Amino acid sequence: MSAPFLEARSIVKKFPGVVALKDVTFDLRPGEVHALCGENGAGKSTLIKLLSGLHVHGSYEGELRVNGTEARFASLQDAARAGIAVIYQELALVDEMSVAENIFLGSEPRTRAGLIDWPRVHTETRKLLDRFALDIPPDALVRDLGVGRKQLVEIVKALSKDSKVLILDEPTAALAEHEVAVLLDIIRDLRRRGIACIYISHKLDEVFAVADRITILRDGATITTLAAAATDKNQVIRHMVGREIADLFPRRSSTPGKPVLEVQNLRVTHPVTGHTALHDLSFTLRAGEVLGIGGLMGAGRTELLMHLFGCWGKRTAGQVKLLDRALPPDNPGHTLRAGLALVSEDRRRYGLVLEQPIAFNLSLSSLRRLTRAGLLDPMREFERNQHFFASLRVKSPSLEYPVGKLSGGNQQKVVIGKALMTEPSVVFLDEPTRGIDVGAKLEIYETINRLTAEGKAVVLVSSELPELMGMSDRILMLCAGRLGGEFTRAEATPPLLMAAAMGQTLSAA
Amino acid sequence: MTGKLTFRDFSIAAVLLVACALFAILSPQFLGARNLSLLMIELGITATLALGMLLVILPGHIDLSVGSGVGLLGGVASILIFHHDWPAPLALALAAVAGLLLWRGMGWLIVHERIPAFIITLAGLLIFKGLFWLVIQNATVPIVHAGQTSLYTLLTTYYLPAPLGLAGAAVIVALLGWLKLRERARRVACAFPVEPAAQAFLHWFIAAQLLFLFVIVTNQFRGVPLAAVILGVVATIVHIITKHTPFGRHLYAIGGNEEAAVVSGIPVRATVVGAYTLLGGIVALAGFMQTAYSGASTTTVGELMELDAIAACVIGGVSLKGGRGSVLGVLFGALLMAVLLNGMTLLAVSPEFKYIVRGLVLSLAVWMDVKLSR
Repeated sequence: MSAPFLEARSIVKKFPGVVALKDVTFDLRPGEVHALCGENGAGKSTLIKLLSGLHVHGSYEGELRVNGTEARFASLQDAARAGIAVIYQELALVDEMSVAENIFLGSEPRTRAGLIDWPRVHTETRKLLDRFALDIPPDALVRDLGVGRKQLVEIVKALSKDSKVLILDEPTAALAEHEVAVLLDIIRDLRRRGIACIYISHKLDEVFAVADRITILRDGATITTLAAAATDKNQVIRHMVGREIADLFPRRSSTPGKPVLEVQNLRVTHPVTGHTALHDLSFTLRAGEVLGIGGLMGAGRTELLMHLFGCWGKRTAGQVKLLDRALPPDNPGHTLRAGLALVSEDRRRYGLVLEQPIAFNLSLSSLRRLTRAGLLDPMREFERNQHFFASLRVKSPSLEYPVGKLSGGNQQKVVIGKALMTEPSVVFLDEPTRGIDVGAKLEIYETINRLTAEGKAVVLVSSELPELMGMSDRILMLCAGRLGGEFTRAEATPPLLMAAAMGQTLSAA
Repeated sequence: MTGKLTFRDFSIAAVLLVACALFAILSPQFLGARNLSLLMIELGITATLALGMLLVILPGHIDLSVGSGVGLLGGVASILIFHHDWPAPLALALAAVAGLLLWRGMGWLIVHERIPAFIITLAGLLIFKGLFWLVIQNATVPIVHAGQTSLYTLLTTYYLPAPLGLAGAAVIVALLGWLKLRERARRVACAFPVEPAAQAFLHWFIAAQLLFLFVIVTNQFRGVPLAAVILGVVATIVHIITKHTPFGRHLYAIGGNEEAAVVSGIPVRATVVGAYTLLGGIVALAGFMQTAYSGASTTTVGELMELDAIAACVIGGVSLKGGRGSVLGVLFGALLMAVLLNGMTLLAVSPEFKYIVRGLVLSLAVWMDVKLSR
């Protein structure tokens, strides 16, 4: 058993108002593949940012050690010099440049005259590509490569800098099956050459195919590190979710009424890649019901909501009916008037006009109903704004306060108020409590109860299993754009839901 | 949504005052009744165009083609009247419809074909310029047959009779007072903060003084110019559109955060096309006034007016990224540009330096904006 090359000891990382990592210990031996597993928000990404020098030394507590001595990374470059390379989920390649140009971007070999030594760039690239038996021409434009090959170019680029550690963050999220096989082969090949890998994936099949050890994070802490050969998927899933559900969720069930939203055999393609992103989804939402939708990152939850609302993707098959009338796939204005409102997960991007006051934002979706003879009726507008300002308990000095200066929880209340002012029959809430404090969370849960008591239907998307189980009457788990499982409130247990999200069926507990 | 004055507004006002003082000292005629009347006509044209520009900058777009449009639409009307003996009202109406359609078309290309406004309107600048010269055959086309007057000529030669000017000012002052009182009562009813009564009265009082002063001074020449009245009407309409209609709110929302506007159910495309269509009408109006002011359509009419319009907006605090700007600010910006041009013309500053000074003032204003808005 060799000494660890990279070590993280008792790491604590705090952001304003949030503790992202509260006790993470992790070590990586030379030439091993070490998988990191955990739910969304367990702290994997934060740990990676620390190891790669993005969260610099001094911004966290605890100790990082490389080769037995403490490492104090002040920048990404420091980490790179120590031999740590990261392949991010979003690829960092320049589309309009060739493979060779990308690989040597920022470290181009120079001729004596100070110009770029192009022949060397190409021969070096050729050598690197040959080393991994990759059939990619060095002068091909990156734009013309598929996602899988781009990923490989990215890895070659990282290895061109003599990296000792390769960190792969969800490397197979966008890959087809045969590309995954190529990637896993390359990782095994690297292991033989003594290069260590940190492998982050929600796909347990891959993890068990390639990893030597598995570390499980939960709520910002290391739960355990297991040898892959000595454990199994069930055990890993239980470690990932094993926590008590606090009595934080005041869901008051109401009896479901008649169907309000019916989705049948919905198939939707991604607007950019053109791949099918949602496959044959069918479900029904009833009045007075909270339907929870869960799944891991990239499962298609947000895409589903955005598509139904009319602002994402292209519908290639299926029907959507709202209150017994067909809903057109690409007109958010129509969708709103028909009675469906969306509260996006990214409130700063899709929810608010940040430089404008609260009042401007609250009434933004309802202006046409607040006019008299074509002009806005200021008293009526004020009345409606004041109603939601008060009933949602937005904490702010006045309606005229810029919404950009509010806290996350209060901003979220404004977005919810804007949706509710349109008097919808169905409300989509996408991660409504992300990044907000407990008090505001409870108020949002109370709002959900009030809505269903009024006979409105709610779709709640959440990454947090306890919230999903605590607030939903029924839960759908999505897995890679497909329905992974459907559970009633009584059936749902964390391991069951997590297994459904990962496309597994859990053997008897 | 309050009209709060900031340090920035004062700094623009200060630059304006300095410029006026400088011109008044260097040229005694600057503050004369005749020159102020002409200044008001020039302002009427520049500011009208700038207010149209405001409508497309608010949602985050731009229009470089308005200068060429001014020449083209004025030229079309001139040709119809001078060569084809159309009655002036009919000729103006047809040219205005052409303006609405052309700009609607550009707006459509921008939002539906997703071609950046900068490119489309740059192409418009070139195409309209070429069309303009084709239409007038590179000649000078008078706007009426010799010795006549028509609606077209009156745009910049008609002045309100003195009593009418005063009566109009009195009505406007009374109306302003009433609106201010009503707004105040509303804000009190909503428990919003209101400015102290004395301050509110002072604002109204100063505005009233300035308006009466303006009428009295212009009455010493020929009266309030029609062009100034037109500007007043356009400014009021644009103010109401931007601040008191859903359409106007949508313009601000699109410029502030287009993705949020889409998810808020705002018909983004139709709104932007609508803004361009309105701009087309305003370009036609400014084109008629500018051509009438020149007395005839010649190849240089409208040249570089797009830059004056954009400069007036920027100086007036309109954000080129969209989402921020007001009618009052644009009027201030246009006034500064008009004063500079008028004053330098009086001083017989050579065209070279006119360009340089206007460029410098524009840079200075934007630089101050960047500095002060931090």
